[in-house]
Amino acid sequence: MALFSPFPTALSTLSSKPYLSAKPHFTLPTRRNLSLFVTRSSPDKGEGMVGPAAVEEQVEEKKDSPPPDLEEKKLEEGRKEKSPRDSIVAAMKVEIPKFKDPRWVGGTWDLKQFEKVGKIDWAAVIDAEARRRKWLEDYPEASSNEESIIFDTSIIPWWAWIQRFHLPEAERLNGRAAMIGFFMAYLVDSLTGLGLVDQMGNFFCKTLLFIAVVWVLLIRENEDIEKLKKILDETTLYDKQWQATWQDDLSGDSKK
Amino acid sequence: MAAPVHLSAPFSTGLSLKSPRPPRRIPSVSSLSAPVSAGRLLRAAVIGGGPAGASAAEALAVGGVETYLIERSPAGSKPCGGAIPLCMLDEFSLPAHLVDRRVTRMRIFSPSNLAVDFGRSLRHGEHIPMLRREVLDAFLRSRAQSRGAHLLPGLFISLEPPSSLSSGEPYLIHYTSSPAPGALAGTPSTLAVDIVVGADGANSRVARSISAGTYSSAIAFQERIRLPPEKMAHYEDLAEMYVGGDVSPDFYGWVFPKCDHVAVGTGTVSSKPEIKKYQAGIRARAWPKIAGGEVIKVEAHPIPEHPRPRRVVGRVALVGDAAGYVTKCSGEGIYFAAKSGRICGEAIARIWNDKSEGMVTEEDLKREYLRKWDREYLWMFRFLDLLESVFYGSNATKEALVELCGDDHVQRMTFESYLYKRMAVGDWRKDLGLAWRTVGTLVKAGIMGKAVERLGTSAER
Repeated sequence: MALFSPFPTALSTLSSKPYLSAKPHFTLPTRRNLSLFVTRSSPDKGEGMVGPAAVEEQVEEKKDSPPPDLEEKKLEEGRKEKSPRDSIVAAMKVEIPKFKDPRWVGGTWDLKQFEKVGKIDWAAVIDAEARRRKWLEDYPEASSNEESIIFDTSIIPWWAWIQRFHLPEAERLNGRAAMIGFFMAYLVDSLTGLGLVDQMGNFFCKTLLFIAVVWVLLIRENEDIEKLKKILDETTLYDKQWQATWQDDLSGDSKK
Repeated sequence: MAAPVHLSAPFSTGLSLKSPRPPRRIPSVSSLSAPVSAGRLLRAAVIGGGPAGASAAEALAVGGVETYLIERSPAGSKPCGGAIPLCMLDEFSLPAHLVDRRVTRMRIFSPSNLAVDFGRSLRHGEHIPMLRREVLDAFLRSRAQSRGAHLLPGLFISLEPPSSLSSGEPYLIHYTSSPAPGALAGTPSTLAVDIVVGADGANSRVARSISAGTYSSAIAFQERIRLPPEKMAHYEDLAEMYVGGDVSPDFYGWVFPKCDHVAVGTGTVSSKPEIKKYQAGIRARAWPKIAGGEVIKVEAHPIPEHPRPRRVVGRVALVGDAAGYVTKCSGEGIYFAAKSGRICGEAIARIWNDKSEGMVTEEDLKREYLRKWDREYLWMFRFLDLLESVFYGSNATKEALVELCGDDHVQRMTFESYLYKRMAVGDWRKDLGLAWRTVGTLVKAGIMGKAVERLGTSAER
């Protein structure tokens, strides 16, 4: 009957690459400079602080098993909005850093802080949320009853997504389609003598056009062909596994 | 003793059952000398006394078949979540005292810890019953016995098929009957039967004996943790599910309440060697709620991912986990094990009682049992496979899954299909709205996922 081991020792087996970002607002720390974690924006990367941090990390690991309850309280304290000094103290006690951002308040993004010229900058909200999710992938956080996450991406209006992601992509695709279309129209004209208007009236040409549109929509990179094949295989695999028991009958091999 | 049914026309020519050939070992059951031709008694052996085996044995015994149930550890407890759908209580007439807890709230946590409460749309009286497997299994077994099945505690060793299926020779079951109290070793025994039902679980020996083929399996790993009373109160009627790459790459982690402790576990198909890491992950995610608890048991078990290539070979039929009837996405197996056992047992009894002469054939079994089973439940298995491939692929899609779970219509549909095992016929407008919302959420999640990926690659430079 083993007593519960504090989770940091288990999680220390997780590998995590040093993660550095040049984005403003905060420096995402590597595992080595945890004790020097600060919330103010800083332009320099963490590498310069590796020396002293390495020593501190070893000290930290030796005393990384405080009683679970104490650790729990420290987690909660470190979570709230505090001055940089307090958050350093909190970070020293906890090996896994918590996600911190001045705009992340009470389990959701404070939309007022995203306002630019009176209107909410949704693209920045999306970017901030993406960064938070990337952080959580590297440093998963414990769920707790007191501080529950309530941010739901459905509050972001649909047009913000289109503006941020779809439009640049659409521009690229339409550009490609136009280039291919021009070249193909020229080629077909030189081969058959049909002008553009006559080409559009021909059923074969219309079919080719349809195939071209579908192709451009589904296949953007070379890998997409493999991905589509894989998806097709996967969707039919489960069915094949279920029907396997009937294959004996179909091959005419049934013993009486 | 089961009353023999149907004193129909005495055996004519054709497929008459000859008396069994002399056994090689000392038989411990007198069925070898029972008069077979008078009264047309069918002998069946059910290997494995879990929900599948017990239900099969009960259905066979009720149908007038001489049934032997071989179970290797009648008192054993199985590593299992212990949740059953509500319809199972009615369909299998389970008394209320078997149920440890009635879960009315489910909470699902996304990779970013967005928590969605899943119990809002439960109607009054609806809940998910949680039981201990040893309690359920023992009840089903004793009920099968009371209907006339003979329980033989022992370990199945091997199966000897007849030289030809039409010869009328029986199947020989070689097993080691459990040692009597005080004895050191069990006695090797043989049982001659006409039909075998393999219900011996994911590592089925019966399946190996008949070369039913293998399946890919997931591993489920679970720790039972006894919590201090104030933390246990939090899980009074609450079950939690955690999704995320830290908890499992292709499954979910769970905290399920049991009688006086919680079961904290996770599972995976693709990364079995890393299961300990995922267990640490689920512990970390639920840390504040389970800190200070005491681990009382650690258990693991394989879970089949899909059915075996051959589920009926000769006069041997597989049911339950042995056949591979575990749904994807939720990993539910108890109900399907019991139901498949019952359907198989009923099919055998029906075939036998409808036939005036001749033995049950492989064709009969496939028609009455497999086809019926596939027709009733294949759609459900297919649907859950689709859900798993769409929503368990990456952290981004798991976020989409949790966001969709917040929708009332989704919750209602989910409960209808899980609790009652039927497709709810709802308002087509709501279904359309749901389809639209699903597509929208998946697109947004895909976009977010790509943005997250881009952050990762740009930071590495």
